[in-house]
Amino acid sequence: MASIVGIDLGTTFSALAILNAIGKPEIIPNADGERLTPSAIFFDEENSDIVRVGIEAINSRHLNAERSVRWIKRHMGDASYHKNVDSKDWDPVELSSLILKKLKQDCSVDNNEIHDAVISVPAHFDEARRKATMDAGTMAGLNVIGIVNEPVAAALYYATTREVSGKVLVYDLGGGTFDVTMLDVKGHKVDIVCSQGDHALGGIDFDRKVLELLEKSYRDKFGAELIGSDEDRAKYEDEAEDIKRTLSRRNVAKIMLYGPAGNMRVEITREMLEQAISDLMNRADILVEVALEEAGVEPSAIDEVLLVGGSTRIPLVRQHLEKMFGFAPETAVNVDECVGLGAALHAGLTMLREKPEAVPPGISNGLRDINLTDVCNHSYGTVCAPLDKETGRRVIANRIILNKNTPLPCEASQTFYTLTEGQSELEVTVTQGEDADVEYIKKIATHKFELPSDRPAGCPIKVTYGYDVNQRMHCKFEDVQSSKVLEVDLSLDRDGSVSQSDTTEESQERLSAVGRSKVE
Amino acid sequence: MSEVLISLSILLAASVAAISSGLISRSGIAELASRLKLKGSTCLSVLARLANGVKSKDLVGQLKQAGSIGDFTSRILCDAKPEAAQNLYAPPDMSILNCRVRMIELKDGNTVIDAFAVEICGLIHAPEDIRRATLRISILDITDGSSEAKAVRARNPQGAPSGESNGSEFCYVAKLGRLPRQTTTLDDWTCVARLRSDGQEFCRRGRRTLRFDTSILSADGGLEFAHAWCTFVYDNPLPGYVDLQENDERTKVLTVALAFAVSAADGKLYDCEVALIKDWARDNVLESRAQTSDQARGKLEKALSTTVAFFSEGNKLDTRRLCEEVVEIAPAGHRYEILDLCLRVTQANGSVAVEEMAILKDLASRLEIDPEKFRTMAEKILPLDMHEVMDINDLLGITSDMSKEKTRKHLNREYSKWNSRVTSANPEIQTQADQMLKIIAEARGQYISAGR
Repeated sequence: MASIVGIDLGTTFSALAILNAIGKPEIIPNADGERLTPSAIFFDEENSDIVRVGIEAINSRHLNAERSVRWIKRHMGDASYHKNVDSKDWDPVELSSLILKKLKQDCSVDNNEIHDAVISVPAHFDEARRKATMDAGTMAGLNVIGIVNEPVAAALYYATTREVSGKVLVYDLGGGTFDVTMLDVKGHKVDIVCSQGDHALGGIDFDRKVLELLEKSYRDKFGAELIGSDEDRAKYEDEAEDIKRTLSRRNVAKIMLYGPAGNMRVEITREMLEQAISDLMNRADILVEVALEEAGVEPSAIDEVLLVGGSTRIPLVRQHLEKMFGFAPETAVNVDECVGLGAALHAGLTMLREKPEAVPPGISNGLRDINLTDVCNHSYGTVCAPLDKETGRRVIANRIILNKNTPLPCEASQTFYTLTEGQSELEVTVTQGEDADVEYIKKIATHKFELPSDRPAGCPIKVTYGYDVNQRMHCKFEDVQSSKVLEVDLSLDRDGSVSQSDTTEESQERLSAVGRSKVE
Repeated sequence: MSEVLISLSILLAASVAAISSGLISRSGIAELASRLKLKGSTCLSVLARLANGVKSKDLVGQLKQAGSIGDFTSRILCDAKPEAAQNLYAPPDMSILNCRVRMIELKDGNTVIDAFAVEICGLIHAPEDIRRATLRISILDITDGSSEAKAVRARNPQGAPSGESNGSEFCYVAKLGRLPRQTTTLDDWTCVARLRSDGQEFCRRGRRTLRFDTSILSADGGLEFAHAWCTFVYDNPLPGYVDLQENDERTKVLTVALAFAVSAADGKLYDCEVALIKDWARDNVLESRAQTSDQARGKLEKALSTTVAFFSEGNKLDTRRLCEEVVEIAPAGHRYEILDLCLRVTQANGSVAVEEMAILKDLASRLEIDPEKFRTMAEKILPLDMHEVMDINDLLGITSDMSKEKTRKHLNREYSKWNSRVTSANPEIQTQADQMLKIIAEARGQYISAGR
């Protein structure tokens, strides 16, 4: 029987966990025996079909940065991002699939075949990024049975392994992204209240601040630039990461800088780091406050703060939280592994719901008491033309139909009206985002809806959006008078546009490029 | 169309003339014109000559004068002598149909609305075989005399935005049913219609002499049994459709003037800014290029060139007074359009000077645009990297009267807004959102975290 798998596809590290015979999640080490695999890729110089993923890719990056890729998760869903290697443009989905392929390959050795998996994503990922992540899993040969928000996965793990109860805030500061999620936890019953995320706040941003300190020190002493090549940058990026880690344990970190104008010894203190990252910490504090406001909860009402992600080891992070909530955050579990472990639990719950016959009785029993209620991650709406009260003119605006943070499954309807006499067609658009201004929201699907002609203006059109527990969205546009219905298929391309199917030559080519690659 | 052109030419020519003209008040011009008893065009040319000969920095005064002359001229030229106003107490001639109008108040929920009560009395004679009758009431504005009668338009009184009419002439029609006799005599004044005053749109605001024509017709409207008319003087509180059209034209002229003022604010009149304003003027002042005569186009081009020359010489406009006039005559929608053009003019050369930002803020305030809406417009059209100097308070909408707590909440709201835009598919929005998130974090450090 195939294993039930959860994968934490992280910005800096990835991990794979499976559910053991009694439904407890366990991290499976990679081929190097490591529990975490660096999310780094290096395309071999000798054999272009060989792709190195993990620690070897990190090391090779210092020798040939041109052929290496890191932090690809930051580009997920970005249709314009490509890494060109040997005349082949690798997009973020393909690159991510190489990492997943490595995890699947390494972990299949001592375990059953790895097939069905849940992959975790940041809570703030939009539909396009979620779909891109699923596509990466499919391309890697996985059957992606679901996507779980990272803080939700972490909370599931915390809730099932620790005594956690009441109003809980999950503070997930990872390598590249930051999420804050509010939960109501009672035993093994976990209700998500709301999530907020910052796509550009994570460990690599702290590393960059350390790197700026190093560059400044060198510039101040020699009046020259420390970094002269991509390889230099790769080397000092990794040095900066080490310094940051050291400063989580000690007050001072020391390093030798070897630059073009001479060498120097530099000491970076914890205070210097804290000063350098103060704006980033401000961003983190704002996000926590925004999440609390969204949940309508005062900091004093929070019972526990759970830490997730390696960057939560930074002492300043913990100090800020302690100051804000008046108590120390919970640090009992491994902050690097809890997302992957929770994703495996989520995979088990999904399998129990979708294919209960495929779940072994031991696992089934282990998961029996866990009850998770997730919420809608974004607001969904449509484009309409309401009258502006101040100007008396019609304006094009986004009207939200399904509100963010509505518990799943959910459904909501609103009625709109045709604008002109004899209107025989409507352009119906499914939007994602809170802004009323259509320039700032994402149009995730646009369709033409033909209407009976020869009717006066003001004919009602009922719009119904539904969101199920598998985070799939269903949209229905109904002409009330004629009962004509348009149901929108929300299968997304990577750029966020809608497609009916994904069987194009291009997708076949992408599939075969990943398939051809020998991942080591 | 020609009126629009004249207005603009006057404005722009006067703009230049006014540099050297003296300050003349609206009432002063009116008085002068009154004494001269000149016709409109003569009055304008006299004024232009007058303006040319007098030193003044007050262009706004000239702009206003151009507008006031239009109003004033129509009044002195068309010194209305309407038909004798009705006398409610005069005994009616019972051998014919008579009508009269009284002003009454109608209740609509909690609001009271003025209405015209149309009353008739006297004789109605119908043919023997056609007795089913219809009442029809039409209204004409004869303030300027019967020969210059203006239509009274129908307006949708419910829910329509101010000034929105359906364009058709007002006509009230009601079925009267079957007349009891071939000859019907109404001995007493009988109210046959109550017409809400917000159901009509008059040509101008103020005291209007209205002619009410009341007809009793056959049911099919083909045969008139009886007809009566009367006049009624009504003080119209709302701008009329001619007022609105004039205001609209005047607003366009003022828009061009303000856009030039913004363009010149940093002391430089860039070609791209001038081109943008000229294009706007061509598109909006000459509404339909295809139907515009070469002469009109020529006048506009000349006026625009003169205005460019005016600003190129370093002259300034009194934008305060221009804005005051805009607020007086232009609806909110037009004021937003002005600001939009001014923002786009600022955007045109790719950078926002401190002086430009200052004048934009000032215009927004004087045009009574909500500060938050102005900021929203500015964020959209003038992204952060265009600003020569970044004022965090301006960019984030932080005001000096905000407490620390209010600032914190405001910054949180701004953060939520920009954080949701940071994954936009549009790279420009994405970049701006990234920059905004950075300055929000800085601002928090400055205003909130400093006391940690």
